[in-house]
Amino acid sequence: MNYSSDQLKILVVEDHIGDYILIEDYLTEEHVQIHLTRALTFKDAKEKLKSENTFNLILLDLSLPDVDDNEDLVRKMVALSNNTPIIVLTGFANKIFGVKTLSLGISDYLLKDELNAPQLAKSIFYSIERKNIDLKLSESERKYKTLFDFSPYPMWVLDKHSLDFLKVNDAAIKLYGFSPREFLCMNVRDLWVEELKEEIQNTWKENYHNKFNTTVKHLKKDGSIIHVEILSNPIDFDGREARVTQIKDITKQLEAEQALRSSEKRFKALVQDASDLIMIFDFDGNMSYVSPSSNQMIGILDSEMLQKNFFYYIHEDDVESVKEHLLMLHDIKRIQIPSYRIKTSNDKWRYVETIITNLSEDESVNGIVANCRDITEFIKQEKKLIASLKRYDTVAKATSDTITDYDILNDKIYYNEGIQSVFGYSKKDIDNSGTWWNDKLHPEDKDRVEGYSRDVKNAKSGNIQIEYRFRCADGSYKYVLDRSYLVTDIDDNPIRIIGAMQDITEIQNYIQTIEDHNSRLKDIAWTQSHVVRAPLARIMGIIDLLQNFPNISEQDQLLEHIISSATELDEIIRNITIKTENVSSIEK
Amino acid sequence: MLEVLIIDDDDIVTLVQNKLLQNCNVCAASLNFKRASDALEYLNSANPENDYLLLLDINMPIMNGWQFLEEIEKMTIKDRVFVYMVTSSIDYNDKEKAKDYSRIVNFIEKPITVKNCEQLKQHQLFKNYFE
Repeated sequence: MNYSSDQLKILVVEDHIGDYILIEDYLTEEHVQIHLTRALTFKDAKEKLKSENTFNLILLDLSLPDVDDNEDLVRKMVALSNNTPIIVLTGFANKIFGVKTLSLGISDYLLKDELNAPQLAKSIFYSIERKNIDLKLSESERKYKTLFDFSPYPMWVLDKHSLDFLKVNDAAIKLYGFSPREFLCMNVRDLWVEELKEEIQNTWKENYHNKFNTTVKHLKKDGSIIHVEILSNPIDFDGREARVTQIKDITKQLEAEQALRSSEKRFKALVQDASDLIMIFDFDGNMSYVSPSSNQMIGILDSEMLQKNFFYYIHEDDVESVKEHLLMLHDIKRIQIPSYRIKTSNDKWRYVETIITNLSEDESVNGIVANCRDITEFIKQEKKLIASLKRYDTVAKATSDTITDYDILNDKIYYNEGIQSVFGYSKKDIDNSGTWWNDKLHPEDKDRVEGYSRDVKNAKSGNIQIEYRFRCADGSYKYVLDRSYLVTDIDDNPIRIIGAMQDITEIQNYIQTIEDHNSRLKDIAWTQSHVVRAPLARIMGIIDLLQNFPNISEQDQLLEHIISSATELDEIIRNITIKTENVSSIEK
Repeated sequence: MLEVLIIDDDDIVTLVQNKLLQNCNVCAASLNFKRASDALEYLNSANPENDYLLLLDINMPIMNGWQFLEEIEKMTIKDRVFVYMVTSSIDYNDKEKAKDYSRIVNFIEKPITVKNCEQLKQHQLFKNYFE
């Protein structure tokens, strides 16, 4: 026996020395490791139990000198024993009482006259063992009760036949919202949802005497429905046939599963039906997944595409750049590869733009995810646009015109930088409405220009050319030659007017200057002609004289006058030249 | 008798015109005035039985040809005065303006030539003096 290897400590309450020696003999006969403590009186026993209760067993003789009432003695000893098993030793005279002691908490009783070593040993063993089992039993019952009351899972006990609630734990009260009092007036069928009532009823009936688990829907007090997993066992509940049921609320779990399923579905739809090409490959370009859209984009089936390396499909001029970007994924999680060319089934090239994400660490992907978008059409458009813009820029720069783009329907005018460089309006000054533009017209030109543009819109004619004055940011006016082109839609409705406002202020000023010059030069010529003609007329007069009258007197004097007049004339002409030059330089 | 007066601030012009008039036998000697006012003064006290041919310059200091003509109109002798406007300018306005003055017989752009003198001598007004 396992406890025989340990030291067995026994308190022997026995005043009769002969009996004590006898007991000691019996005990040592059966046990090697034994330690006896003797108490002569109840008082002595009481003290010994209070000071040091490490006894495995108490042997109690009922005839003690300081006790008259045996029943009282037994009660007191049981109270003092602290669950240590007690065996009562009694004479024949007290046999009936010995039996009674069992109901008072005594483990066994032995008749002194019939006492022998094996009987005593057996009784001691059983008593100790029974006490241990009792302890375990009550411990397990306590644990079970705690488990029920404080279980995080809702639990209840139902009458096996009626399914009325007999007991409900806190978690169930919390989950369902019914108070304990309400629960105890209810039947579990009150929780069943209408649609599943029959099914649950059948499950229950099939397993009437057995344990079963199933998934059902329950109604809460507030009317909402929860999904629960139940596990139900038949038990004996305080002598009544019952079922204990454990409930697990799986509503959230189901919702999460549903969300996951729809998310998977969405993802599948995105990947498989999208026009984007999605691939998964490693750093060496070995592909593990190609989306079916490959067929749509480059005319190669996904299964076929998987047979070659990713880099095989890339244009040789682009492959280095793609590889470089791929290597960056060691440091960055996600990167966009600039547009590159990818081979199609008929050996043509498509431009694609790709976002690559390193999901090598993600077990469900285990690779680099590439999301390719076909941008061939965009690139073509872009190239056209760049060419067109270049032409436009060249023209715009060459003319230094202010380019206007009038969106007739929305009454919005957009300008190029000319509005700033020519007229001095900064971006914040400009209001893109047509009114803003009209407001800048010179008051004298306003009616004419507005009338003209109305005519143009109505006549739907293409080219417009008109001159007007346009106010600058500093309040001054500039002469503008406006050449515009009316753009119409297919139904000939005017939609836009593209225009070039040429600053002709300088030309206008130049013309004015020339006119001023002319008028001044005219003046100069006019006045100078008198002065010029005076000496010239003299010379002509003298020559006329000399020709008609060769023998005229004082010829020397006349010749002298010719010389002086010629000199005077020369000087006058020089002066005129200088003055004329001065006029031009003043204007400049 | 026809007296010829040259009214011009330009000495050379006066000299040349005087020589021309002499050599063309218009007159033996002309009366030369550098300032218009001097010519007015002379005419004021001139013999009213004579005719007076004036070669009058337009552009002169102090009193120009037009102002001189205004003064002539105030004089009693005015009907004996015949004016040849002589100018160095080729101004159309001057020529037009000359039409407003009844005293003006002719408008000549300088220089006066032998041809002008021949025409003068055959002019209705003066031809009697040269027959």
